[in-house]
Amino acid sequence: MFEAFLGGFGILFNPETVLMTFLLIAAGLFLGMFVGALPGFTTLMAMAILLPISFFLHPLLGIPFLIGVYKGVIYGGSIPAILVSMPGTGAAVATTFDGPPLTKKGKGRKALETALFSSVIGDTASDIFTIALIGPIAAVALLMGPPELAAVLFLALIVISATSSGVFVKGLLMLAIGLFFAMVGQDPIGALSRFSFGITSVESGIPLLPMLIGVFALPEIFAGIEKKASQIVSSEGLKVSGERLTFAEFKSCLRTIGRSTVIGTTIGMVPGVGQVVAAFMGYAAAKSASDHPERFGQGELEGVAAAEAANNAVNGPTLVPLLTLGIPGDNLTVILVGAFIAHGMRPGPQLMEDQGSLVFAILLSIILANILFLFIGYLCIPFFAKVVTIRKSFLLPLTLVFAFAGSWVFRGQPFDLAVLVFFGVFGYVAKKLHFDVTPMAMGFILGPTLEYSFGQTVTLAQGDLLTFITLERPAAAAILALTPLLTYLMWRRNNRLRQRFGEGAAH
Amino acid sequence: MRIANLSKLFLGALLVFGLLGVNDVRAEFPEKPITMIMPLGAGGSHDRNARVFTSVIPQYLGNAMIVKLMPGASGQTGTAAAAKAKPDGYTLLFSHNYFDQLQKHVKKLPYDTDKDFVTVAKLNSGFFSIIVRADSPFKSFQDLVAAAKAKPGTVKFAHSGNWGATHAPALQLFTEAGIADKIVMVPYKGGGPSMAGFLRGEADFTMQFKSTILGQGDKVRVLISAGQKSDFKGVPTFKDLGYTADIGQMHRILMAPRGIPADRLKKLRDAMAAIQKDKTYLRLVKAIGEVANFESGEDYEKRRPMQSKAYKNMIKGLASN
Repeated sequence: MFEAFLGGFGILFNPETVLMTFLLIAAGLFLGMFVGALPGFTTLMAMAILLPISFFLHPLLGIPFLIGVYKGVIYGGSIPAILVSMPGTGAAVATTFDGPPLTKKGKGRKALETALFSSVIGDTASDIFTIALIGPIAAVALLMGPPELAAVLFLALIVISATSSGVFVKGLLMLAIGLFFAMVGQDPIGALSRFSFGITSVESGIPLLPMLIGVFALPEIFAGIEKKASQIVSSEGLKVSGERLTFAEFKSCLRTIGRSTVIGTTIGMVPGVGQVVAAFMGYAAAKSASDHPERFGQGELEGVAAAEAANNAVNGPTLVPLLTLGIPGDNLTVILVGAFIAHGMRPGPQLMEDQGSLVFAILLSIILANILFLFIGYLCIPFFAKVVTIRKSFLLPLTLVFAFAGSWVFRGQPFDLAVLVFFGVFGYVAKKLHFDVTPMAMGFILGPTLEYSFGQTVTLAQGDLLTFITLERPAAAAILALTPLLTYLMWRRNNRLRQRFGEGAAH
Repeated sequence: MRIANLSKLFLGALLVFGLLGVNDVRAEFPEKPITMIMPLGAGGSHDRNARVFTSVIPQYLGNAMIVKLMPGASGQTGTAAAAKAKPDGYTLLFSHNYFDQLQKHVKKLPYDTDKDFVTVAKLNSGFFSIIVRADSPFKSFQDLVAAAKAKPGTVKFAHSGNWGATHAPALQLFTEAGIADKIVMVPYKGGGPSMAGFLRGEADFTMQFKSTILGQGDKVRVLISAGQKSDFKGVPTFKDLGYTADIGQMHRILMAPRGIPADRLKKLRDAMAAIQKDKTYLRLVKAIGEVANFESGEDYEKRRPMQSKAYKNMIKGLASN
């Protein structure tokens, strides 16, 4: 194993190709970051479009290029989430809790830099951990089947509802609404139509991206319009790109980043849940551990750090099932499979034995991509941060245009615009009534996977669910047993917070 | 100045995406890039094949072919969009035989594949094989059939989702073997997850593509495989054991909305035939582990009614159980 590792080092830093590798990773990062920052372009789309380029390159140029794109797009996606509360994916939703409030305080640049540093640290640490423990992680990943996935998702949904702002019951109610929206369209297992009322456009379900933009970005725009025009054109927001992150601020986030990295890496071992769940768990844990939890959601750098470190720490372990068993951990690694196969490397147990050095070279190139990203990201941030320093009277209409344009480029279907408006109004009403839309969005995102894995579990158990879970799936049983305990603890904490700081504080 | 910066960002983005589509303006068809709708998600074998042939075809067509992913509702979203498109040759559909001929027997569709689409070409076929884990008691497919008949409801099969690429051919096979109602069908979200579930031991056997099986080395055993000639040494084909020869073949087909002008259809068909001799194309096809068993649009058209009949009988057989 160690020989293979050294071999990989040799391959990657081969003096003849190393410069080209560096350049291609940098190009991938740069390209990915811009694509990711445009609302409506998903990571999956960007990767799929750029995949053919890697066909024509040497594996150690093509695959690192794709990895660069992958990292770039993920970070790029958190830029609109922080600046204008427009998450492009579920993974960026937790970033919208503290990102936009920071931007409003003129700390947009600080928030972007915190996100960059947390992402890079979370990712790098999880990659190193993955390289060191690739064997055991593969063994754990193989134990995680549909029953365990269902149990983890159930736990995650409860935790998300409990950490949402306001009353716990309101969170649960929004969760139920989200789960209901997820049921519209064909059911994931039998493909039978539900709640579609014969409308062809909703047969395939409510589209995620217009819903996310509608529910998170539109209410912010409406709230901005409500303010008096004099406030909107105040010169306050016109300062150039904002202040940089200070070292003291960065240091205060380090504990949070460490905690989130551990959480993200652990969750990354469960195939199929990944970044969305990790970001929320990281955020919830940071809030519980903080001695000033009331500041979370009001513009707290630690909140951004917690979410971003956790969702990026998922990346290392997600690659393990792909490299060791030949099974992609998520949709994005499926694209990497394509690139691997096109270069004659068949992912699977054979690959590790036959071409171990090459596998390690690729893992090392991921770490290299992170380090390069630190520089590229840092240089690009002022440019992005400037976007929000334009006058509010221009920014609001522009954001609105981006919201509609993003929903349109996603699939190019007029129906999606109706979805955007519907959820914009829904989000606005919920905001006015002090309902947090986050549990709704998460119920919607995770609902179908929960339903699918539960359906699979029932099929596997052949009717006798209780015996199956307790006797054959102890890991799933343990997670299920933990759920009510954790729920109680979070509920109690939430109650105390409200007693201490009043109704508004418990976000 | 600030607005100028923003518009620069916009322009830059436009440039990046503009460059991806090669614009070679000519008087004859195609004057502009062709959109190819794929009713499936990114990263699967269809996507991989599409990326390969669309990166070669501009040379022969004189214009680019752009892949547009429209997954959802088991292929219905994308297929419906292609059915509604103008039949001018600028919108095509990259589908497979189960979406094309099987789905209509299972559910009500907002289109009629026979009336709405004509075949441009069959690009190639994916061949499935049935595998068990190396420690499995089943040494042959006959062992497996016998076990399922002896103890119904104990043998589990992992597939890629209901009416998906491995569910349909497996049902067809099980129906012919008389075990369709005796096997427990465990659905997974795609081929990869079904392989993972199978390796975890949640199912006794599964159906996979050759490229996936080869990566597993000696951890799995192939019992039976599709095609005229087996991909694996000493392993019988479905035909060898007396099952319908077409079982377990997923045909990747390029379709055009019916009503397309004859000269445009011919141009598309000729271009698809021409890339079969292209060295870069053949190299890439081999690299992604596919065989280039091309079939012309004319030939494939004859196959469609036969497939429909076979699938209809299979569904009928299942319903009467």
